[in-house]
Amino acid sequence: MNDYIENNRRPFTGLSSLFYIDLKLFMPIVIITIIGLVTIYSSSSGDIALVLKQFTRILIGVIVMIFIAQVHPDNLKLFAPILYFFTLVLLILVLFFGVGKSADRWLDLYIIRFQPSELMKIFVPLMLASYYSDKPLPPKTKYIFFAILIAVLPVFLIMKQPDLGTSLLIGMSGAIAILLAGMSIKFFLVSSFSTAAFAPILWMNMHEYQKQRVLTFFNPELDPLGSGYHLMQSKIALGSGGFFGKGIFNGTQSKLGFVPEHSTDFILTAFGEEFGFFGVLILMTLYLLIALRGLSISIKATDNFGRILSATLSLTIFLYVLVNVGMVIGFLPVVGAPLPFMSYGGTSMVTLFATIGIIMSIKSHQRILRK
Amino acid sequence: MKTKARKDSIRKRNNFEEKYSRDPMSNAESERRSHRFRALIATAIVLVFFTTYISELYEVQVSEHSYYTVKSDSNRIRIRPVQATRGLIYDRNGQTLADNINTFNLIVKKELIRDKEIFLQNLQKLVVLNPNQIKEISQQFQNRRLKDITILEDISLDDFSKIAVDRHVLPEIELVPKSKRRYLSPYAMSHVLGYVAKVSDDDIESEVVKVHEGMTEIGKLGIERFYQNILSGKPGYEKLETDAKGKVIRVIEKKQPVRGDDIYLTLDLNLQQYIYNKVDKKEGAIIVMDPNNGDILSFVSFPGYDSNLFTKSISNKRYNQLITDKRRPLINRVIAGQYPPGSTLKPFVGIVALEEQIIDSTKLVNCDGAYELKNHSRPFKCWNKTGHGDSDLSYALAQSCDVFFYRVAQLTGIDTISENLYKFGFGQKTYIDLYGEKSGLIPDREWKAKTKQLPWYQGETLNVGIGQGYFLATPIQLTLATSVLAMDGETYTPHLLKGYKSSSTREIFNYNPLENKFSTVIKDRNYLEIVKHAMWRVVNEKNIGTASNMKKIASIEYAGKTGTAQVYNLDAGKSNKKILQDHALFISYAPYEAPEIVVTVIVEHGGGGSSTAAPLARDIIDFYLKNKNKKIASNE
Repeated sequence: MNDYIENNRRPFTGLSSLFYIDLKLFMPIVIITIIGLVTIYSSSSGDIALVLKQFTRILIGVIVMIFIAQVHPDNLKLFAPILYFFTLVLLILVLFFGVGKSADRWLDLYIIRFQPSELMKIFVPLMLASYYSDKPLPPKTKYIFFAILIAVLPVFLIMKQPDLGTSLLIGMSGAIAILLAGMSIKFFLVSSFSTAAFAPILWMNMHEYQKQRVLTFFNPELDPLGSGYHLMQSKIALGSGGFFGKGIFNGTQSKLGFVPEHSTDFILTAFGEEFGFFGVLILMTLYLLIALRGLSISIKATDNFGRILSATLSLTIFLYVLVNVGMVIGFLPVVGAPLPFMSYGGTSMVTLFATIGIIMSIKSHQRILRK
Repeated sequence: MKTKARKDSIRKRNNFEEKYSRDPMSNAESERRSHRFRALIATAIVLVFFTTYISELYEVQVSEHSYYTVKSDSNRIRIRPVQATRGLIYDRNGQTLADNINTFNLIVKKELIRDKEIFLQNLQKLVVLNPNQIKEISQQFQNRRLKDITILEDISLDDFSKIAVDRHVLPEIELVPKSKRRYLSPYAMSHVLGYVAKVSDDDIESEVVKVHEGMTEIGKLGIERFYQNILSGKPGYEKLETDAKGKVIRVIEKKQPVRGDDIYLTLDLNLQQYIYNKVDKKEGAIIVMDPNNGDILSFVSFPGYDSNLFTKSISNKRYNQLITDKRRPLINRVIAGQYPPGSTLKPFVGIVALEEQIIDSTKLVNCDGAYELKNHSRPFKCWNKTGHGDSDLSYALAQSCDVFFYRVAQLTGIDTISENLYKFGFGQKTYIDLYGEKSGLIPDREWKAKTKQLPWYQGETLNVGIGQGYFLATPIQLTLATSVLAMDGETYTPHLLKGYKSSSTREIFNYNPLENKFSTVIKDRNYLEIVKHAMWRVVNEKNIGTASNMKKIASIEYAGKTGTAQVYNLDAGKSNKKILQDHALFISYAPYEAPEIVVTVIVEHGGGGSSTAAPLARDIIDFYLKNKNKKIASNE
């Protein structure tokens, strides 16, 4: 009991400990958000209003993060099924009452409008971790089936909206959680093949513009002024940056409007153009630090819930980075995916800080059961 | 026992524990370890991805940096050429022949148009367009080479302000200022000046004109073409930074264009206009040249065309109209019209015969209206069926007796005739300062064998003797040949350039005719005098000269030679039957004693030289002299 108290107290030193904040996780994020603000300021040619708006979102995000970090993981585990099923219902509602420009992703609750699919980015890993927490690991095959069902249901609903990008990201975060929980090689191979077999069905269910995006990805020269235009221009922006970049405020590609979405999905190109490979390397290293810190937290976590959840969430954040950067440099098709903590936009910022809040909560509420 | 029992007991307990119980501590430990293992694999995967991404970013940002820098600059930097002001063209008295006016073009960038139909609807709220114009705009939409669509050209200042006021209706459209060539006497000057139009691929490949970077318009024909490199100047440029929508953000660099040099021509606008007004309903060519220096005072190929049409993007329809016009207004007859010279060749044939001592001034040939040739069933007829009786050279020229020249040609032979006619400038270009000149044709045995694979017949020699048959000359060649007679062999290359004024130094460079002076050797000056006197008789000896029965000019005497060339012509397109038609020709110089001008007149299908061409030449000489006297009077 003494150990427990002692071990619990040791990290609780200073202000950050008081609020269950993990500085090693938080510092890279703070730097990234500052980089993001600078880039938005520069690429919008000094629009301070835009920067303030983004800064407000970051503040809200940080508050959400701190709030969630206070919540004990056990409570998260307890409420996970409720949150998950509630959001699942919302997703079904979106299909019938959703609003939005090109796809009906938003739910209008009169007070606020939000995308239930964003919530699922957290709730699917949370639900899976919660589901696995009382099962012996590695899990039996039937548990894996249920786990897959937990992941696939929202994926399917979000794909119907249609929001292919988000649904694939959620599907992958579910897959990460299931893989982290463990499964036999045989099962892994079987499920991989069946996923591959599922691809044609996915293709047939895709909308024309989604198919077009995938096709352009494999052959960008097909349509240099259409879908391939984004990729061409973002590579030109990055490439013209060189090693040290054109310098702040000197980016022409983003400022003159050649790179579309230079503050949101393609913010890396604006940053890379002005700060060069050097800046991008630092930024990518910061993201790596976040992922490694998250994995380290998961290794030190004391129960399966904490382990699976913190590892899944930190890997998911890194996955978002890989998807966004991959899209910018032409590894992946152009799907609407923001760069975590950098891209201009509210929902994803708050969701991401909430994710970090959960990881911090797991880190700082560790229980010592042994010794 | 105890041991065995104990062992059994342990085994049983183990079995029991295995069956009903789990060791939470050891199980948690294995789960912790297996998670640690998986998390480390995940870390490794994360690192692999990180490395892959970084190396690709390095590839794009560092290895391919220069490639993308070029791409980035070509994205944002546009070079906009600034057209140079084209040099003006003046006549010899400083009257403007071609200048530039400022107009506006209404254009729209194709990429800004989302929906063509809606755009056209909105456009018609702004400007009035006829169905043809709408069709042309639609065609420009389909032309992939065009980036901008020209909606209206040459908008006047009034219309400009009207459109500018309502521009907000269609923000896509642009009013672009444009300097446009204007020809002040478009029809009379059309062939000599030529025109300016858009640069084509042929121009870029052409060796005679220099196409500067960014040049959009170029001289296509005439003086505009020949002196393109002097007139054009050099375009400047603006290096612009533009955004993705093509909007100009700032000017990075600017280079001013160099204005073209002004050109002064030897032409006299008043004379040219006077002549053109007399003949604009006919077809043919009239040249007035000063034989003392080769200055072309008047260069009229008629009918002319509206050269201002070509400075717009001339529509296909109007161009086809000009091409298919039966009067063939696009042909520059002065240098590219090849005509049988008819009797106007006789003075030259006469000189050749004198020089070769085939005849002398007293040699008589009897003309009874026709000339019989051995092995020829049909006799060669003289124009005068009753015959001229015994004629010497002078009388034969004055009367234009054909039989005399049949005989002379037969005696001289085609080889001698063809060989000696070259020295008058026939059969070769005069090298006047225009492109597209034809060289005419002096036929000989070699030529006939080559082109017709036939031997030369004596009858053909006879035809050459009276300027018919295969013999062809351009009007400018006849002019030059006449000046050989008028100046006793001292001639100058015909030319249109008087001088040009440098736009930068305002210095005037004058054309020096002496650099292109030629002497034609005539064996005996008396031969020339015989022929010239005969030509004086043509005009002045009442009832003998073929052009002597028309009204005289009071103050001076001049010399000339009529010609009527018989040509076959398709019956003005009405039927395919070939009919004989006469071209009227007249060569002349005035005054007789001290020649100041050579006048050559050719009127296609104009009837006889004496009835049609000679009076024209007389009026021109009269007009020239009156104007000259007026000028002298006003100077005093």
